[in-house]
Amino acid sequence: MKNDSANGTDKLPQELQQAVNDGLLKRFPLTFLPFVNQQLRQWEFLFPNERQSVQRLLFYVAKMSPQESAELFKDILRLEDRMQLRRTKFSDEEQTVQNSSLLARSPLFQEWRRAVQAVFDEADRYAIRSQALKKPGNRLVLLDIPRALPLDKSRTWRRWQGIGKTVDLDLSDPRSSRRPMEFLLGGIESEVARSEGILRAVQDRPDASPVSAWVLDAGRDLVESILPQSDPTSPRCVLLSYARLDGFRQSFSHEMNTMRKDLADADAVFDRLRTVNVRAWCPPEVVNEPAIREFMRSLYLSGNGAVIFNNSFVEWGASEAIRRARPMFLAARFGARAKPKAFTGVAVFDNPDEINPTPAVDDVSGSAVDAEILALYVWLAASRYPEYQSSTVCVCLAESVSQAYVIAPDTFDLDTRNGPVTLAGLQDSLCRWVA
Amino acid sequence: MKIEDLVDIPGGFTTNTTWDEEFDASKRSFLRAAAILAAGLMFPQAKAESNLQHSGTGEKVLLVIVGGVRRAETFSRDGLENIPHLAGDLFSQSLFYPHVRNEGVTAHFNAISSILTGNWQRVDDWGKFAPTTPTLFEQVRKGLGIDRKETWVVASNKALTNLIGASSVSDFGPAYGANVVFPKQLMLIAVEEALRQGRTGNMADRGKVEAELESAMEGSNYEGLGWNVFDAADQLDPRVAETIRTAIAGFVRSGGATSGDELTFFMTREIMRKFAPKVLVVAFSDVEAAHFGSYALHLAGIRTADRLAYQLWQEVQANPDYRGKTTMCILPEFGRDPDGSSTNGFFNHRANEDSTRDTWMMVTGSAVEKPQVIERPIRHIDLCPTLTNLLGCRSLESQGTLLAELRG
Repeated sequence: MKNDSANGTDKLPQELQQAVNDGLLKRFPLTFLPFVNQQLRQWEFLFPNERQSVQRLLFYVAKMSPQESAELFKDILRLEDRMQLRRTKFSDEEQTVQNSSLLARSPLFQEWRRAVQAVFDEADRYAIRSQALKKPGNRLVLLDIPRALPLDKSRTWRRWQGIGKTVDLDLSDPRSSRRPMEFLLGGIESEVARSEGILRAVQDRPDASPVSAWVLDAGRDLVESILPQSDPTSPRCVLLSYARLDGFRQSFSHEMNTMRKDLADADAVFDRLRTVNVRAWCPPEVVNEPAIREFMRSLYLSGNGAVIFNNSFVEWGASEAIRRARPMFLAARFGARAKPKAFTGVAVFDNPDEINPTPAVDDVSGSAVDAEILALYVWLAASRYPEYQSSTVCVCLAESVSQAYVIAPDTFDLDTRNGPVTLAGLQDSLCRWVA
Repeated sequence: MKIEDLVDIPGGFTTNTTWDEEFDASKRSFLRAAAILAAGLMFPQAKAESNLQHSGTGEKVLLVIVGGVRRAETFSRDGLENIPHLAGDLFSQSLFYPHVRNEGVTAHFNAISSILTGNWQRVDDWGKFAPTTPTLFEQVRKGLGIDRKETWVVASNKALTNLIGASSVSDFGPAYGANVVFPKQLMLIAVEEALRQGRTGNMADRGKVEAELESAMEGSNYEGLGWNVFDAADQLDPRVAETIRTAIAGFVRSGGATSGDELTFFMTREIMRKFAPKVLVVAFSDVEAAHFGSYALHLAGIRTADRLAYQLWQEVQANPDYRGKTTMCILPEFGRDPDGSSTNGFFNHRANEDSTRDTWMMVTGSAVEKPQVIERPIRHIDLCPTLTNLLGCRSLESQGTLLAELRG
């Protein structure tokens, strides 16, 4: 298949391109080069946050004298010498499985990681000093464990260790038959009532972009409830549905399984998968967005169960979206996965039904266990970044027990004094927060 | 000490790691290293302490290695419900080490080969290269002059290869290596073959699965199984083939669960009955469903390993070749990453954190004079010299230190 992962270095901002042309990369240690080269090559597929991050690092080094940059990198260079990386097949072009393996099995790996982190921290401190980092606006992370997944009220929130508070919900809104997440995100417009949803509130922000809001769905209903409200081929937010990406996922893992038989090692498989044309496998809401297409490719390549289980797709997709794009609003709905089938459960294939014709049976209690911890993981992934540490509300709905877990700054206004919070009340508070 | 006293440890998830915390972690590592050094002074190097005859002791060793499991899901207040047999049936008759460090590479091949050699191994993660120092099998076979049928590895883990059975050391190596079998690979080949031949319906029919598994075993693709049994290059030894046939029948007809570890259990039990090896290493890996992000399946894997380890112990008690002269050790390869780590928590095992490195070990059987909890931290590499000593074999010099609590 034709390569659609184009080389994007010719589209770099002029100032950055000039710095690269002037030999800036020669100042970087070997172990930085795979990352930097890959980011520059894939510039057009990076999210704004990623571009800013690369620019911060490169401009920080570019403004230094050669002596100063040598001082900045001296610990890393010393470690690279001791690791004897230049005597190995360490790629300076691409982050490879072999590179990771070489680094990870070195006794100096942890020391190296700390040294690398110190350089990034220094670049970030410089950015703060030079006011390149903006103050983050209000953000919202909204998670949903749907009614079909049975939870035990006494244990549902124990993993959250008191970092927020439990709020009782009244999920029966007489004005709408929509499911809670559909209502919160999309609002309603009927003869008896009208409300704007959270998505509208985010999209109306002056600083909003098409990657400011992300919706990840373990099934398809949530995404399909949003699609009619926007241009299906150019939605104003990122919509990723596990079920609507069936074709992408199955074709991709089929390629993976087929290649494994005739390629020598994992890096050869990855090289091929990095260049496979995925356009034909994408649903309309993904196909015309190069950055999102490449996001999906790298999501599936990075493992963590995203090609296997719907809830892993939601958790890992949300965590990667937060790491890479830093959205203002992220919504994630979990769902039911199937039970492993007898005998064939050991084999991980693109389509388990193809191997074993026994009808798939939902594992709702197991899925509830999965969703409980994975919902927390999405919030923990967000809380690692400064943008989400002070001005973010996180709400996790547990529909089967009519509760939500809410982590919020003191300035978040949700009235819980009059018994269970209605969906309309919750929607109103969340819209005001992100508007 | 009661098990309840053991499990009352602080849990919690990792948030941002600050420099102070990093520094503090280093300090803790230093203090821990100091404690290990002190222990080493009390229990000198295995080689110095060994004063054994070369004839061996008649002891047998069953080593059960359980993939990556965190303390939080096992020996913690919330985790005990996942290990009813270890905590309920075996704990009271065992030596229990609550702190067993993996200070090496926390990947499967390197972790298991470090346990088996007594030295931290840093070879390829995917088993392309053999361990660089002699394994327990080589030391015991060469030291005691025993046959290959006395040493076996039965493993579910796909990250292992048959190079786990012997080192690349020229004085030792494959000539003194163990038999290595991967029962799960048999299932994978059977599934692939059924798919290729359009017989997928058979994989849904318990009655026909047995034939598919036998066909996979008897097919010409023996090498595809990745096994190494009695140095057979192109076909299975008839004794082994019969053993496997019996194991498959037990697995399929039991009507029970059908995971890779279940087949590994049936295979192990059959090898115990047919060959009664002196050194038997079993590596379970259902817990590695964690890599795909299903916490429920990971917990199910822990419960399966707990049950199967106990069933192996029951086999030891019922089998006259083992009863009264066998020591069983159960330990994880490593933990898993903490909730909130940048490595996606329980999914992976590569964070340099206690959650990933600090595990436990349970020892039961004839080498245990007095059930007790040994609070002193030990390391994975301490097991190999201890077991060679227990088996009556002169230990080679290694990074590991003899565990004096095990009666040799």
